[in-house]
Amino acid sequence: MERTPVKRPFIKRRTLDRVGLLFAALIMVSPVVLFFLWMISLSLKYEIDNGAYPPILIPENFAWANYVQVFKENNFFLYFWNSVLVTGAATLLALIIGVPAGYGIARLKAEKAAIVIMIARMTPGLSFLIPLFLLFQWLNLLGTLWPQIIIHLVVTVPIVVWIMIGYFETTPMELEEAASIDGATPWQVFRLVALPIAKPGIVVAFILALIFSWNNFVFGIVLASRTTRTLPVAVYNMLSFEQVSWGPLAAAALIVTLPVLVLTLFAQKQIVAGLTAGAVKGG
Amino acid sequence: MATVTLQNIQKRFGAVNVIENLSVDIADGEFVVLVGPSGCGKSTLLRMVAGLEEVSGGEILIGAREVSNLPARDRDIAMVFQNYALYPHMTVEDNMGFALKLKKADPADTAERVKKAAAILGLENLLDRYPRQLSGGQRQRVAMGRAIVRNPQVFLFDEPLSNLDAKLRVVMRSEIKAMHQRIGTTTIYVTHDQIEAMTMADKIVVLHDGNIEQVGAPLELYDRPANLFVAGFIGSPAMNFLEGRIEEGVFRTDKGLILPLPADLSPASAGGRPLVYGIRPEHIRASDQGIQGRATIVEGTGSEIFAKLECGGEQLSCLFRERIDIRFGDTVGVSIDEKRVHLFDKATGQRL
Repeated sequence: MERTPVKRPFIKRRTLDRVGLLFAALIMVSPVVLFFLWMISLSLKYEIDNGAYPPILIPENFAWANYVQVFKENNFFLYFWNSVLVTGAATLLALIIGVPAGYGIARLKAEKAAIVIMIARMTPGLSFLIPLFLLFQWLNLLGTLWPQIIIHLVVTVPIVVWIMIGYFETTPMELEEAASIDGATPWQVFRLVALPIAKPGIVVAFILALIFSWNNFVFGIVLASRTTRTLPVAVYNMLSFEQVSWGPLAAAALIVTLPVLVLTLFAQKQIVAGLTAGAVKGG
Repeated sequence: MATVTLQNIQKRFGAVNVIENLSVDIADGEFVVLVGPSGCGKSTLLRMVAGLEEVSGGEILIGAREVSNLPARDRDIAMVFQNYALYPHMTVEDNMGFALKLKKADPADTAERVKKAAAILGLENLLDRYPRQLSGGQRQRVAMGRAIVRNPQVFLFDEPLSNLDAKLRVVMRSEIKAMHQRIGTTTIYVTHDQIEAMTMADKIVVLHDGNIEQVGAPLELYDRPANLFVAGFIGSPAMNFLEGRIEEGVFRTDKGLILPLPADLSPASAGGRPLVYGIRPEHIRASDQGIQGRATIVEGTGSEIFAKLECGGEQLSCLFRERIDIRFGDTVGVSIDEKRVHLFDKATGQRL
């Protein structure tokens, strides 16, 4: 095929555009990436390297011992299990409550109810933590995981409700009308038509609720006892008054982040789709 | 199958009266088309029959059963929506069998009925597909299949062809009509397209601003429109309207053009009042002796020629079926088929 001279500057231009875009993206994400790289570096360095000047990014000897220490010293598996129970229960309960709630709000156009839920989410957690602490104490629940499960619902339910509202609003009304003409009761319309169609939304709501619940720190630090700590609280407890051991701390932080990180990597497409649902109706 | 009776139906949305007081009788097995411009209340009326919209007053009877207060699921009707409303998470087969599954019908019997409906509509090879894998026409057929499988008392169609391209619309039009002739279920069909109404209906109900303008067979509406609205709405291109009066046995327009009158019209009844003279473009023929006009628009499609003539200050649309040689600016002679003239009272809009 003959090469047309007109095309070449065009291709050059496109490559330049692409490189520029990559560069811009790199600059924008660099704070996050550098922070993350430094965390990895910290977790692999011995204490002596941490204070070195100029700073060392890649140490000569990897301090795998930091990771070993995390698992050995702290009741790590207990805390991990606590986290799984609290986050799992808070997320599942949120789905059970939030998906039908989102459907109801979307179909009844009950925006006020949605805003009330949003306000509950916007209120700083600390403002109601102390009264709740007293309440849980009075109910004799403090030694258990229940206070944390219940209070995590403050985080997870609004996320689920709001994402599901967006999803159900984009479900064409005609589908549900068709189902009701086909003989479905309102409950059957929800279960057999609305719910299956909203499946991608449920996945997103599930993942986001999981991430927020998993990373929650404030509720745990107030409500957790020594045996009911979740992972973020456990990591915080590695800071002692005498010294900060950066290596094990960074290692623990990375281990805590890992499940959420992996989940996000796999589900990022759905998350973006879920967050923009409702923005482009019928799109 | 059943008759459908709408008695003194009213519909208000808040303070807005959409339908004031409307009654229609639909015979068993009849194909009735509700037609009118957008906002005339035709879709609202259909949705009230379906049970998707509450009536503000009046009664809806399907057969002898009063259904006005029954939920949609108990009315034994099937509806085809404009955007098909196929369940995206179900295969064609599941879509068509959904209603029977809800009724907890025998699965073998359901499969049998789905297969039969699929055969009628030529969908046998698509039963395992999902709606997203189908073309517009196929989706339309599945939506119809979903209605057939139910074997309901009444079919409702809400502008089912408006999402299809022009060619497919013509094909589906005859398919729907053929299906009705084969199954014979009472059908109510809503459209804003008067060609669809004319070609498919046994009976047309012309709606305008929530009121019935005229009810009748297609040709009845074409030949004897009851008022100016129906006259202008039915027929394409639209009827010519010329304002004027009857003077000495002829019609003189306000701008002075003289037009012939039908022989059977007694001038006494018209009595010098302001009138509107209606003549369809296809009832004007080219003729050397007739009214002379200058062509301002000429559009030929091969089978016919549409021309707009300026005759003595009046605009006259003409549709010539014969091949005549007209160009823009030419002077053309035309004569009016006076047996096809319609006269309306200008003040009331009613036919004389």
